[in-house]
Amino acid sequence: MKNEQQKKPNFLAAILGSKRWQFITIPLFAILCSLLAISVIILLVGKNPLVAFQSLLEGSGFLPKASYSTYKGMITDFMDTLDALTPMLFAALAVAVAFKAGLFNIGVSGQMLLAGFLATVLVGYSDLPAGLAKPLVLLVGIAAGACAGGLIGILKYRFNINEVVSAIMLNYIFQYIISFFINTRLVDPVSRQSRNVSEAARLTLMNVEAGSFKMRVPICILPALLLAVALQVFLAKTKQGYELKAVGLNPLAARYAGIKVGGNMVFALTLSGALAGLAGVTYYLGYYQSIQPGTLSSLGFDSIAVSLLGNSHPIGIIFSSLLITAISRGSTYMSSTVGVRQEIASLVTGMILLFSACSGYIRWRVNKSGGFKRKRGGKQA
Amino acid sequence: MNTVIIDGLSYALPLLIIAIGGIYSERSGITNLALEGLLGFGAFTGGLFVALFGSMFGNNSQAVIYLSLLVAMVGGAVFAMLHSLLCIGFSANQVISGVVINIVSLALTGFLTSQINSSLFGKPSDKFMLSVFPRITVPGLSKIPVLGAVFTNFYVFEPIILVLVLVCWYILYRTRYGMHLRACGDNPQAVDTAGIDVNKTRFGAVAFSGALSGLGGMCFAYSISGTFSASVYMGAGYLAIAALIFGNWNTIPTFVACLIFGFARSGAYELVKGLKLSSSFCDLAMTLPYILTLLLLIFFSKNNRAPRALGEIYDKSKR
Repeated sequence: MKNEQQKKPNFLAAILGSKRWQFITIPLFAILCSLLAISVIILLVGKNPLVAFQSLLEGSGFLPKASYSTYKGMITDFMDTLDALTPMLFAALAVAVAFKAGLFNIGVSGQMLLAGFLATVLVGYSDLPAGLAKPLVLLVGIAAGACAGGLIGILKYRFNINEVVSAIMLNYIFQYIISFFINTRLVDPVSRQSRNVSEAARLTLMNVEAGSFKMRVPICILPALLLAVALQVFLAKTKQGYELKAVGLNPLAARYAGIKVGGNMVFALTLSGALAGLAGVTYYLGYYQSIQPGTLSSLGFDSIAVSLLGNSHPIGIIFSSLLITAISRGSTYMSSTVGVRQEIASLVTGMILLFSACSGYIRWRVNKSGGFKRKRGGKQA
Repeated sequence: MNTVIIDGLSYALPLLIIAIGGIYSERSGITNLALEGLLGFGAFTGGLFVALFGSMFGNNSQAVIYLSLLVAMVGGAVFAMLHSLLCIGFSANQVISGVVINIVSLALTGFLTSQINSSLFGKPSDKFMLSVFPRITVPGLSKIPVLGAVFTNFYVFEPIILVLVLVCWYILYRTRYGMHLRACGDNPQAVDTAGIDVNKTRFGAVAFSGALSGLGGMCFAYSISGTFSASVYMGAGYLAIAALIFGNWNTIPTFVACLIFGFARSGAYELVKGLKLSSSFCDLAMTLPYILTLLLLIFFSKNNRAPRALGEIYDKSKR
């Protein structure tokens, strides 16, 4: 074991720099590794990976495409990406809050669906003016999500039901019940989805003209970004946030310190559910306009991974969700221009997550070899 | 009534074998949320095997069907090693690793299926066709009223799974290896003191759980759609996790939980059919197993106790 380490050059430590910067260098290293892995796959398929990655960025509005149709431009693509980013950001924050409290909210998808459905039924089909409908949609979303999340918390706290199991059960229950109501009452006979909600209730403004472009404007992207910052302040600077983290790190020690473990768990899951509710309304009444019955959005599950990639840190999540959203948004364009299958986008996401799951190991490895170097250096000198 | 039992069993038994796989992994101390991904990848390798070599066996050969089950087990086990590599080798968070495995599995199999279909077989398709799994009826026994349905028109994989479950139960509770495995989940330090390699035991347990999941996934692929496609990922892995937690990480209560899922599901379908309701009521009926589980959990999970070291990375230096 020791011999092996002596032979190993600690190039990793040299590249990944000091501990100070590791919070950014190690995720970047993980992303780089995954892009390399994907490049190999794309090469095996017989396509040029660089062109593929370039078209990914073009499709998501970070690089200009070769040509655009009228009213379209780089900015419209970018706004589309932002529109998709909004629910992803909320959902990833939802996962992160629960994770900070040592809980795993796998029910984000279900909470999103419930919030989106209730908002659609209660507000989406009414004739309320936009100024009233939009805040109501948000409120309904928050309330519905918080209730669903809180329920999981109470089941865990009062009845000792593992949150993963109850969340999965609730996911299915929501999915089937909502599918039933949509299919029997709200279905649009053509699209086989729920009828479109009114534009007044929708959280994305469509066809906003700016200059020579017509674009989508997601209203909630700025509040979402602010919320991420607020959440970071909450976790880092407030007593409640500290308690929440303490419960996550060591529930026994937290209880010994006089922190109410159960109460904090319920609180964390309620907060997480509320965020998931926001994700739901921005997804079903923003990015989309209707709900497809019988399915949970994969976004709710991807958000788990996005949160992990951002190290469950609200600010980190802003960047990780931007990255993952850009990849999935750009994939359609990539598959049409380069001829690489669209599925490769989810593979890219999966690979990034796979490597970032190893980031703890990379960090350990780097720090170990770095420390080793210092020790060795001292001996030699 | 007969259909309820027949369909219920054909759903419950693959679920059971996946849950047993989960028990092996979790009893050894590795949280395994990856069951969904493992069963999918296992089914993928099985489906690929059929697609590649199915024609070599001739049209009516059953050998390819049973071989595909074996291949699915191998595929699941190999993919599970990724989970154990992440959890044991790289000390990743086990829950995260599990979710990531699920995502990677769904993405990878989806990509590979359409890529292989278009480049090897030259057809744009996102599924592998499988043959029909043989069903048999035991003469005589099937004539028993009510219970006879158990012996009527069942898939051949059902008795195979039952035998495997028995073997798994025996290994886990009656052999030295099984005791080591369970001890790894409760007190790995003690196991280490006894001179047994904790990580190796866990590695084996996770690989084995992958093999069982792969088998279960392949059975689902045969029984539900007769194809391998993304439809295999319908949440059976998560349901199996629910079943094993419901069963308090023990074989027999888990078996009961799986039967509840299976019969509630098929019963709900029959109910909708019997009452001549429109098919959208199926959705409502489908919630039955899940609501039932939640209610049962509320009453019975007070005494639930997970393996003590579940989800913890084994640290030699810890006391």
